[in-house]
Amino acid sequence: MLGRVTAPPPDATQEGGQRIPQWGFRGWLGKLRARNLRVRAYHRPGTIERCAAPGAGPVARTTSAKMAAASSSDSDSGRAESKEANSKWLDAHYDPVANIHTFSACLVLADLHGDGEHKLVVGDLGPSGQQPRLKVLKGPTVLTESPLPALPAAAATFLMEQHEPQAPALALASGPCVYVYKNLRPYFKFSLPPLPPNPLEQDLWHQAKEDRIDPLTLKEMLEGIREKAEVPLSVQSLRFLQLELSEMEAFVNQHKSKTIKRQTVITTMTTLKKNLSDEDAVSCLVLGCENKELLVLDPEAFTILAKMSLPSVPVFLEASGQFDVEFRLAAACRNGNIYILRRDSKHPKYCIELSAQPVGLVRVHKVLVVGSTEDSLHGFTHKVWLQQAPAPHSYLPSAQGPESPSGFLFPATPLSPLSPKPPQTPAVPCQGKKLWTVQMPAAILTMNLLDQRSRGLQAVMAGLANGEVRIYRDKALLNIIRAPDAVTSLCFGRYGREENTLIMTTRGGGLIIKILKRTAVFVEAGGEVGPPPAQATKLNVPRKTRLYVDQTLREREAGTAMHRAFQTDLYLLRLRTARAYVQALESSLSPMSMTAREPLKLHAVVQGLGPIFKLTLHLQNPSTARPALGLLICFLYNEALYALPQAFFKVPLLVPGLNYPLETFVESLSDKGISDIIKVLVLREGQSAPLLSAHINMPVSEGLAAA
Amino acid sequence: MGLLDKLSGLLGLRKKEVHVLCLGLDNSGKTTIINKLKPSNAQSQDIVPTIGFSIEKFKSSSLSFTVFDMSGQGRYRNLWEHYYKEGQAIIFVIDSSDRLRMVVAKEELDTLLNHPDIKHRRIPILFFANKMDLRDAVTSVKVSQLLCLENIKDKPWHICASDAIKGEGLQEGVDWLQDQIQAAKT
Repeated sequence: MLGRVTAPPPDATQEGGQRIPQWGFRGWLGKLRARNLRVRAYHRPGTIERCAAPGAGPVARTTSAKMAAASSSDSDSGRAESKEANSKWLDAHYDPVANIHTFSACLVLADLHGDGEHKLVVGDLGPSGQQPRLKVLKGPTVLTESPLPALPAAAATFLMEQHEPQAPALALASGPCVYVYKNLRPYFKFSLPPLPPNPLEQDLWHQAKEDRIDPLTLKEMLEGIREKAEVPLSVQSLRFLQLELSEMEAFVNQHKSKTIKRQTVITTMTTLKKNLSDEDAVSCLVLGCENKELLVLDPEAFTILAKMSLPSVPVFLEASGQFDVEFRLAAACRNGNIYILRRDSKHPKYCIELSAQPVGLVRVHKVLVVGSTEDSLHGFTHKVWLQQAPAPHSYLPSAQGPESPSGFLFPATPLSPLSPKPPQTPAVPCQGKKLWTVQMPAAILTMNLLDQRSRGLQAVMAGLANGEVRIYRDKALLNIIRAPDAVTSLCFGRYGREENTLIMTTRGGGLIIKILKRTAVFVEAGGEVGPPPAQATKLNVPRKTRLYVDQTLREREAGTAMHRAFQTDLYLLRLRTARAYVQALESSLSPMSMTAREPLKLHAVVQGLGPIFKLTLHLQNPSTARPALGLLICFLYNEALYALPQAFFKVPLLVPGLNYPLETFVESLSDKGISDIIKVLVLREGQSAPLLSAHINMPVSEGLAAA
Repeated sequence: MGLLDKLSGLLGLRKKEVHVLCLGLDNSGKTTIINKLKPSNAQSQDIVPTIGFSIEKFKSSSLSFTVFDMSGQGRYRNLWEHYYKEGQAIIFVIDSSDRLRMVVAKEELDTLLNHPDIKHRRIPILFFANKMDLRDAVTSVKVSQLLCLENIKDKPWHICASDAIKGEGLQEGVDWLQDQIQAAKT
């Protein structure tokens, strides 16, 4: 089935890049040249491994929970920061104990009663994810509250039929069902179609029903199936396997007569206009399921209009276009890829490979903005989205060719040899082009779209673990809101009668409502955000010359020999250094005495312009306890040039740790401006070999020249 | 105030004309209040959201009011400032039941008070804490707290709890406004 999608054009350059040996600088350069990459200063190397784990848990929920646990870091102060005085937002309401625990997918604003008063619908997970509830808020107060049978996955409002009065229906995806409410009353429950159960499992339960098998054997057999079989077990069997021995009998008796049902669950949901692009047009529900499928539901009959399969489990969905005309679905999946699906394709057409797991997906016009676990926002586009999208009215389904667009596009992320991709992915051409990347100061918890209709502004809001909410238009930072707690869900739109309202809920269950000032205009904060401009400039990689090619070839062929030759030279150099050092130590030529019994430090200073200089010797005994006794100092100098009052004198007792300045005068005798070296030797009484020595380069006497 | 003025005022022979601005957020009840102040035969039955603004006239015991009933919708609020110069008094209507948008009302009021055409004038402002009939309405005292009305030092102001649908509290407010205008004139 996957073969229908045309294979990607073999990415020759990428392959070539990997074949070059990794150790040489030229090899690296060759890689760089081959890929024509831009400098990726913002990519940390460790992250490539992270995306290598395909299907690692439900990203939407677990990552946000994980990040919520991460400690909040100190935030840098940006210019776009909203200060109390000149903030763009009015604080309409803040309740730190509103007891609302949810994420952005479960927040929706809608005119549920058709009276112009927009309500807030919250699919609440409950304080510990235990008591899921559907809450409807009007203003700051909860209007209605009803329990849910399972944790909500997503909430959406949509118009079911065209005729008046138009009150939108509310859809809440929870477990394997979508609950549809009209006028806040339950209206319809859609359940996902059951999946075929494992025949072996079915057979076992059949045997249990006829009491031909005891619970213990049943357990063993089921465990065998769980480990080996391709078709996973049903919920009933899985629950049975969790039970203690004593409870098994009762469970079997209770459930053996039931037929086994295997159902998947909904992971994400969005809406897609049916056949008109108007604001008040009928919309279909699009569901993403745990069994790697996307379903499109009819808005009135709730029948499945289309079914599409994906290589991985979708966690975020973005839809655009109209179902009956032409549409595009972008599904961010747990394998770290975003798949793009179009009308008349049962499988993804293109994919965008991310370097880390996605934590949020927002479509702003024609750019897909993805937040990743690397604490960064990425903007993606793809040629297809821009060029091949036909005008809605001129579209003919038969004109749609399955071939991929011509022209080479860079892969969204460099493929690393460390990241093995799941076997399905090569069937989907990788086409997303990365437009920009913005690094966040902390982990992204949630994302949503800010659509200010009155000013025609569309921007992305990202709630961070350090309590900030950042608003970006493309890569330009527009505004920072500092919340008292980490914001876990965001929603912007008309609430009550106010057009531009921002709803935020925090990790601690708080509810924050802010209203955008009528006069507020978002301006870009300037060039300080995003990657530095230097990152965008291409490296001036020199042309591949004949010499370069020859050298590369030689490196490749004679690599081992070159390495050995280099190592030999290196060892020789080290040996020489060591020898010279030992010699210096043996002849006490260094100003540090290294003998264990007499550690000494000498440091000399020459002061004055001449002809008389003052020479100060700072002598220190760095040992911890032992004082130094019986030391002598001797100066060796050219007597024709210099005269010292005392060329040889005794050193007083050196108390450990103290610095002894020993001063002496040096007179320069020469009037020709010649300078020489004076050697200082520190000796021990009765020993001829010096403990240490120092050479003092005397300065030229300037006083004489002046006189 | 001269005796003759008072006399003529009482007799209704000569009524002074004053221009009043009626401001407030959308859905706060401005048009309903103005409608209720008109003589009963001139009142309209159904009130629809005002587009732009409308000019209404009504008379009190001694004054003839010309009211600029401004639309409160966000996109028309920038029209308000063009009429500040002409206004001799301001009626500011607040929806007491809309707790969430009280900040928006405060923001608009602050913008109004800081406008150069208003800032240095001793213009009387009458506040109507409207929709007192609704269950979740807050008291007029609370409204004045939320709007920080105590900070208005240089202008006479007064707040009235009102219910525009029944007409409660409106007359009290208009009487205060009339006194203020007449006091300012003499």
